[in-house]
Amino acid sequence: MLIELKEVKKIYHTPAGHFTALNGVTLSIGEGEFVSIVGKSGSGKTTLINLVTGIDDPTSGEVYVGDTPVHTLKESDKASWRGSNIGIVFQFFQLLPTLTVLENVMLPMGLINRFPVSEHIDRAMALLELVDLTEYTHQLPSMLSGGLQQKAAIARALANDPPIIATDEPTGNLDSKSAESVMVLFENLVQQGKTILMVTHDPDLAKRAARIIEIVDGKIANNK
Amino acid sequence: MQKNQKLQTFKIIDSDTPPLLEVHNLTKRYKTAAGETPALNSVQFSISQGEFVAVIGKSGAGKSTLVNLISGITQPTSGEIYFQQQPIHNLTEDEKALWRGKHLGIVFQFFQLLPSLNLIENITMPMDLCHSFPLRQQKARALHLLEQVGIVEHAYKHPAKISGGQQQRVAIARALANDPELIVADEPTGNLDSRTAAEIFDLFASLVDQGKTILVVTHDKEIKKYATRIIELVDGEIAGDYPVESLTRCEADGNPVQKVVSFQPTQTKPLGYWGGLP
Amino acid sequence: MILPTRWIKIFKDMWSNPSRSLIVIFSIAIGIASVGMITNAARIVQRDLYGQYSAGNPSRLSIYISGFPKELANSVAGMREVADAQARRTLSASLIETDDKKYDISMDVLADYQNIRINRYNVDKGAATPSTREILLERITARELGLDVGDKITVEIDNERRYELTVAGIIHDVYILPMTIFGDAFGYISMDTLEWMGETSYYDRLDIVTSENPGDKTHVLNVGATIRDRVIEPAGYHVMRIAIPGVGSRPGDHWAHDQIKGFLLILQIMGILAVFLSSGIVINTVSAILVQQIKQIGILRSIGAVRSQVAGMYLANVLVFSVIGLVIGLPLGLAGATWLSYFAANFLNFDVARIDLPFNIALLQIGIGLIMPTGAAAFPILSGTRIPVYDAIYQYGLNNHSKVSQFEKLFSKLRSIKPHLTLSLRNTFRKKSRLIFTLVTLTLAGAMFIASFSTRDSLKAQIKEVEHYTVFDASLDIPGGANRSTVLREAMRIPGITLAEAWSESTGVFVGADNRESEEFTIVGLPYNSQTIHPIMIKGTWLQGSGIPQVVVNADLIESKPDIKVGDYVNLKVGDHKRQFQVIGITSKHLFGSRIYMDAESYTRLTGKQNQVETVRVIAVPGKPGKPAFQDSIARQLEERFKNAGLSNSIATTQNSFFNSFTDIFNIILLVLMIMAGVLAIVGGLGLTGTMGINILERTREIGVLRAIGAANAAVLQVVVIEGLVVSLLSWVFGALISAPVSPALAAIVIYAILNTKLNFRYSFEGLLIWLAIVVVIGILSSLAPARRAARLRVREVLDYE
Repeated sequence: MLIELKEVKKIYHTPAGHFTALNGVTLSIGEGEFVSIVGKSGSGKTTLINLVTGIDDPTSGEVYVGDTPVHTLKESDKASWRGSNIGIVFQFFQLLPTLTVLENVMLPMGLINRFPVSEHIDRAMALLELVDLTEYTHQLPSMLSGGLQQKAAIARALANDPPIIATDEPTGNLDSKSAESVMVLFENLVQQGKTILMVTHDPDLAKRAARIIEIVDGKIANNK
Repeated sequence: MQKNQKLQTFKIIDSDTPPLLEVHNLTKRYKTAAGETPALNSVQFSISQGEFVAVIGKSGAGKSTLVNLISGITQPTSGEIYFQQQPIHNLTEDEKALWRGKHLGIVFQFFQLLPSLNLIENITMPMDLCHSFPLRQQKARALHLLEQVGIVEHAYKHPAKISGGQQQRVAIARALANDPELIVADEPTGNLDSRTAAEIFDLFASLVDQGKTILVVTHDKEIKKYATRIIELVDGEIAGDYPVESLTRCEADGNPVQKVVSFQPTQTKPLGYWGGLP
Repeated sequence: MILPTRWIKIFKDMWSNPSRSLIVIFSIAIGIASVGMITNAARIVQRDLYGQYSAGNPSRLSIYISGFPKELANSVAGMREVADAQARRTLSASLIETDDKKYDISMDVLADYQNIRINRYNVDKGAATPSTREILLERITARELGLDVGDKITVEIDNERRYELTVAGIIHDVYILPMTIFGDAFGYISMDTLEWMGETSYYDRLDIVTSENPGDKTHVLNVGATIRDRVIEPAGYHVMRIAIPGVGSRPGDHWAHDQIKGFLLILQIMGILAVFLSSGIVINTVSAILVQQIKQIGILRSIGAVRSQVAGMYLANVLVFSVIGLVIGLPLGLAGATWLSYFAANFLNFDVARIDLPFNIALLQIGIGLIMPTGAAAFPILSGTRIPVYDAIYQYGLNNHSKVSQFEKLFSKLRSIKPHLTLSLRNTFRKKSRLIFTLVTLTLAGAMFIASFSTRDSLKAQIKEVEHYTVFDASLDIPGGANRSTVLREAMRIPGITLAEAWSESTGVFVGADNRESEEFTIVGLPYNSQTIHPIMIKGTWLQGSGIPQVVVNADLIESKPDIKVGDYVNLKVGDHKRQFQVIGITSKHLFGSRIYMDAESYTRLTGKQNQVETVRVIAVPGKPGKPAFQDSIARQLEERFKNAGLSNSIATTQNSFFNSFTDIFNIILLVLMIMAGVLAIVGGLGLTGTMGINILERTREIGVLRAIGAANAAVLQVVVIEGLVVSLLSWVFGALISAPVSPALAAIVIYAILNTKLNFRYSFEGLLIWLAIVVVIGILSSLAPARRAARLRVREVLDYE
């Protein structure tokens, strides 16, 4: 199994009291799967994906990605690990505004020494071609529509050729046409052997995945 | 057929009374290098006093854009907005702020209370800004509003010391501070668990019972138990505009609601999002 | 009392970050206090020092005359041009302490102690008039030597006769150069006492106040010449010298007038800098507050606040800071003024009459205290409240980059193959106003630092040049002069000495075509081929041979007589002798004052003094002065030999001690300048830390994104530290540019204040490089803390606050 969660619990402590976001989740996801995670607001689906990407730490339980025990890594090591193993696509794209589209895509390559520096530009150009953005290479993100920004963000997520793509409401800020083209991109990536983990609350989008995991009040309610 | 019959029980009663809010051909486009992205395209509807309108739709459908245009915190690309027959789309930023202070209460998804002030002070702030109530009456009014939303016992606490649901109640009390006619809420339960969300919607319903008009943007299915009318947006256009049967609402809050609201169906396409109304 | 909610928010926000509020309040207070301290102290010093100085009716002109009776003073006082004239006698002696320590003491005699009309002193304690065998000690002398009324002192005259005097009173004489600065003790005695000590009873100086234009140097000197020509010389007395009292000051000015002016100028620059820096801190902090509260501003506007209300709240906040700052700053400034005034009073020997805060200075402080912070904060407040409501609530952070300025386009060309480093370069220029403040502070610090170094180097270079004029191991003055061959013979007897030179010295004047005389200069007679001087010739040549009527002048002299050119013929007058010479060369400046050099033969012809020399210079290895210790031993032997031979009791100067005497004063001034530069550097560094802190705060989400896509700690640190480095290096470049005009200006001010002369300027490239190193350290240190904070940010918390 590529991703394994064992009895994972996540409790947030707030001044107003404790809040259990995940309550004993055990889950395994194989290589090449396209999994959507659905549930209402506050059900814990975002927490789940954050634990897989190492953006958040579990209160108890274990999270393995490949052979890596993610829950034991330090913050800085997690960042490096994430850089080469997981591509993240955010709801609000999160491209860096002062960098051009090309530079945004090259950014992760500069952070992780996976590809030789001389190949960075070529590889970034190839990725931009993959997401059909070659004509915007030297534009700043603010000059692009939301749909195009999200495509650039996907290209950036693929920069270090990670096996896993994790994404939280990737179409949440897009119109239906842009959303569709983003989904098509994801489907192509899965065909190329990537594993995709997608959080959404849109039942239609969720159905595009081979497997739907529904979270209700911090527990897996449905897994099919 | 049964549905149609039920719909007919909702009569347009007050054609003489002008609507509280009118939206004409409202369009919002965001400019990018790749061209203009339409967020809202020629949206048109009106809301009368006492309605509880829910705007639903997928992410990116333009719901938030709509509510931000109505509250005047973003500018429309074209189109008109009238409140009590006064145009508000061409007001300056400051005039809009003044108008909001007196006539509109906003409830945000993330509550947006001022962290350094206690609950009372958060509520007296709009009164202070708009000089709507004399200084010596403000505190009493804030306490009264806190009582109304059911958290008067926390009156002297700071927002960080109470739960999200309680913060949202304070935000609602703040929205009521200057006794506005209209309250708009953008995903007010988006950050709350389902039980707390139900309490917030209950609170809204009771406000509507007291004569307030509420426009709420949400993707919480439960809203159909509370709202009197649902507007569905798809890709920036109104895909449906329906009243909700009083029966459904009675189930929700247990009290029969006799209010009769205005109704202007614009399309007959069924609500696709939740597979149509029950 | 019920406060409106807006005011509650202002006060609660102030409380919520007390350290930040305190920084703003203190920086305002310090700005106010330093302005108050400097302006008020300057006023008090001028009022009391200059007041006391002029209250005692200062002498405008001193005429040094070979012995004369006091009646001559009455004749001079009777002249139409003269308001008053007073006779004085000065007797130099040594004051012997119990442990045989000697101090130079000058004992003055006034003709009529009952009626002192010029340079009046005040009696602090004891008698106002010295009787026989009594002395009135100047209060600084009394304090320094621990003497009081009734104590006995021993004075030694001509190094042989000792007399005991009783301290009859302690007086305060503001016209006397204080012992603490110049080292000479001072006291008044009566003519009886003088005679009792075996001296002839006569006066040797006339203190004059002219009846017209007492402040006009030329007029006063002309009156002096008139007095000489019409009264003194017809009466048969010989005038040695006519001079304005003080150190190059105007008649009637305090002797340290120019130095005080220079010092106050430096203080005023510091005061202005303090105000500037404190307003910078206000801007920085208010910007930080606004950045943190940008969402709150959006909320306020969404619940009905118009822009003026929001801006008003933040301005009111600053005003509250200002008022508290004033409450602290006003008394602090008064305390500072008190300290500075008493420091000056102690140093310059005057009394502080009273410490007060006049209305106009208080008004200036209140004005600065209220206007400076609000003015400084107005820009960030107005631009901060201009952000559209929607952006303020939803978009502040990553997406606020819709407008791209030309400036940014320019810098978008800056890139690295590693885009996260490109990011640092671009980030630097994202917030221009903030960048500008940081740059200005650091640039100023840099310019100041380099200027201080350049001043030091200019002085050092000057002192180095002086080496050319002091190629000796030791030199000894022979007061009253002695025979050349005797002097040389004695000097050559010192073991190891292979070269001795004897120089003569007189004061003389130029006589113009209309018979008018110039100020006095020193005329030096020396061997034309002297080996103890290797002059640096600016123009022309050095002396060519013996007996040729040619002179070489130094650049110091040219400064006061700029019309003199190489090749000119000039008439020189020493005493009654007059002769024409040709100027054949100009040497560089060398800190001896204005000088005219001529060979010994010509000197004899001009002065009529045959073989009389006033100075002897000795060296063991000609052209190569020895080590300091060696020089000291030569100096001691020279002193001993000349004392034993009855030629001189003076203290010998070594080349080394001569330099030290200068470097000590310079070092103090340079220390002050370096401290200023250091303070600026610290403030600049704090400013950079603040700026980086705000930048990080604004870009929290950007750092979160970097983390999410694989940036380890090192990469995050790199992004931040490189940005800090870029800012500091930029400031270095600007500092280097600005220092080009600032350094010569500062050097000129400082050198003029100390030496009352202009010097050649030397730009310190060493300073430039040292500052580069400092700036790099500042850049790294000040971005390290924000960078660490950035590296600690957790991705979830950063991305979660949508």
